[in-house]
Amino acid sequence: MNEVLEQIINRNDTWRGRHRRFHHHEPSANSERHSPHGGGAGLATGYGSLDAQLDQGGWPLDSTIELLSDSNGLGAMGLFLPAMERLSEQGRWQAFIAPPYIPYAPLLAARGIDTGQVLLVHPKNRQDLLWSTEQALRSSTCSAVFSWLGTHNYSYSELRKLQLAATNGDSLAVLFRPTVAADNHAPASLRLQMREYRRVHILKQRGGNQHIDVDLPQAEDVPGQPQLWELPTCPPPAAALGSAG
Amino acid sequence: MSLWLCLRFGQLPLQCLNRSEEQAVVVLARQRVVCANDHAAALGIRAGMGTATVHALANNEPLQLLERDESAEQRCLQQLCCWAYGITPSLFSWHQDCLQLEIGGCLNLFQGLDGLLTRVRSGISSRGYSVEYGLAPTPKAAWLLSFAPADTALDITRPLAERLAPLPLGLLDTFPTAVDSLRRAGLHTLGDILALPTAALGRRCGREFTCFLQQLLGQQEDRQADYQPPKTFRDEYWFGYEVKANAELLPAMQLLLQSLCTFLRSTQLQTTEICWQLIGIDRTVREVSVRSASSHSDWKNWHQLTSICFEQLQLAGGVEGLALNCGNLRPGQPENTDLFNPGRQREPLAHLLDRLRSRLGLQAIEKVGCRDEHLPEFAVHVSSDRPGGEPPCGPPCAQRPFWLMPQPRVLRQTRQHLYWNGALTLLHGPERIEDNWWQEAVSRDYYIAGDPNGQHYWVFRDRLSRKWYIHGVFA
Repeated sequence: MNEVLEQIINRNDTWRGRHRRFHHHEPSANSERHSPHGGGAGLATGYGSLDAQLDQGGWPLDSTIELLSDSNGLGAMGLFLPAMERLSEQGRWQAFIAPPYIPYAPLLAARGIDTGQVLLVHPKNRQDLLWSTEQALRSSTCSAVFSWLGTHNYSYSELRKLQLAATNGDSLAVLFRPTVAADNHAPASLRLQMREYRRVHILKQRGGNQHIDVDLPQAEDVPGQPQLWELPTCPPPAAALGSAG
Repeated sequence: MSLWLCLRFGQLPLQCLNRSEEQAVVVLARQRVVCANDHAAALGIRAGMGTATVHALANNEPLQLLERDESAEQRCLQQLCCWAYGITPSLFSWHQDCLQLEIGGCLNLFQGLDGLLTRVRSGISSRGYSVEYGLAPTPKAAWLLSFAPADTALDITRPLAERLAPLPLGLLDTFPTAVDSLRRAGLHTLGDILALPTAALGRRCGREFTCFLQQLLGQQEDRQADYQPPKTFRDEYWFGYEVKANAELLPAMQLLLQSLCTFLRSTQLQTTEICWQLIGIDRTVREVSVRSASSHSDWKNWHQLTSICFEQLQLAGGVEGLALNCGNLRPGQPENTDLFNPGRQREPLAHLLDRLRSRLGLQAIEKVGCRDEHLPEFAVHVSSDRPGGEPPCGPPCAQRPFWLMPQPRVLRQTRQHLYWNGALTLLHGPERIEDNWWQEAVSRDYYIAGDPNGQHYWVFRDRLSRKWYIHGVFA
């Protein structure tokens, strides 16, 4: 019986609760930050309010992150721009698998992202999409993998395969899925939902806070750099649409 | 000082045809025995015997008679040259059954003579040849010494003339008349004639003979053309049975790739394309090309790429043989792996590209770049090979979306509203972009519009056609 338990515990995809969740007074504030996977391994998101809510102090690099949103994602890419900028220093690929449109290269360049690292992959079918995502995650040549899984249905085992590939790799692994996927279980350690700009809903977080909304205040934006969701305050002239007719 | 190692494959006529030790095997040329294996030798069969004698000696024992195949011998010798090229660059084949390697220049590489000989021995034994060694300052002396007992043949501390002295004159079979006349004069070993004055010997036996002796002793230069590795690679594997499942091809594929990469490594060549030939039972040849973005000589990478291709392959009929061709070889280029972060990146960047391209096709992988253009659709450059040099792009002065549609799409419009996933409201604008007046004038007013869910879009009104378009998504 113990052997069976041990086998389960030794699997690297078995999450184990830690005592600190239940004894608030015990650990120091410092050790709180650090994950069991080694030294606060998270990649800073660029948003302090979000970092504070994430278990590893930033995006986990040893697991997939699911981002659920309908249509084209309200600010979903803006959420990852600061991380992409930081990862750009590593000189590895940033793969966009089955992206909905073309990323606007001058904007990426203005945010300090090396556009030469951006790789657009256009798989023809569902199998190729899963295959290329797994290849990109398994390969050590990607610092970030963004995959738009689309509205297909994916079985738990297919997603788990991606999760395992991400466990071995060292890259920011983001899977974009529609909001309806929230009803199904997924092996990702972090599942986020974006219903409006500047507000992230943490749907699931392994070993961390769940079911909370995190606001991303304007004060944390990098000044002088183009933002994705910040609208200038002046409204358009009322006559604009009138001239359409 | 140069040092030559002679590898004499005395059993080559036999070993290139048959390595069986279970029964007596004899190789014949013009009805005379050229070579016999141990089993046959135990029966008393010796080189030079006639076919009738062999049959008489065999006396109802199972016996296999083979005709000598000199082209097979030459092929084996070429393969051995190819292998020995990994040890020293200056070598040549000699007398149909020998290799001459100049090893004086590479002793340090193998940490001395012992290390080198160990390497040579293991290489030859893994190929299943029996060999005699000779070691001397000149190639001809090394060859002659390969007939001497092993302790003399490899003992380079003793003077050369002393080591050569006991060898019989009969070994100099390229000079039959000279040897014959010397024998009749009562001279039987090399030692006998090396003691004679050269001029007198030259008058009796001819200039060529004395020239040979001088080259033997290193008194005259002995130049031979070095072996040149072939410019292309081809190797085959025959299954000996019919292969129907793709997975059964993999072990043969691995063997061929390893042999290719050994060849590439020793010739310091690399390739960006390899070509497989699946040879069917009915001798139809099906070709499969595997390409890579960067040229390299890493067999594991080729293995991965080929596996991806073979997985998708539909085998029409049975396959009997697999051949690997490599015609376009180029001098090596160093690979780029991150030197300072080896743990993070374990393979060159191009390897992922190769894998994706070999399954999805060349067009399915694109890269983006910036161009210094005013019109948004021209400012992004998307191409399946590398985008052109990146001009310094200044920060965009105004709001730009993350996603740009490859082509602006027409928005449905009524008198009051624009529609795209619901009614749109204009939130910000306009920003006028005019350009391209010298070709086809473009004049647009860009706005940011929001839909009922709060999603922001980048839309514009074409001032010339008076239509509304959507061009980007803020995400």
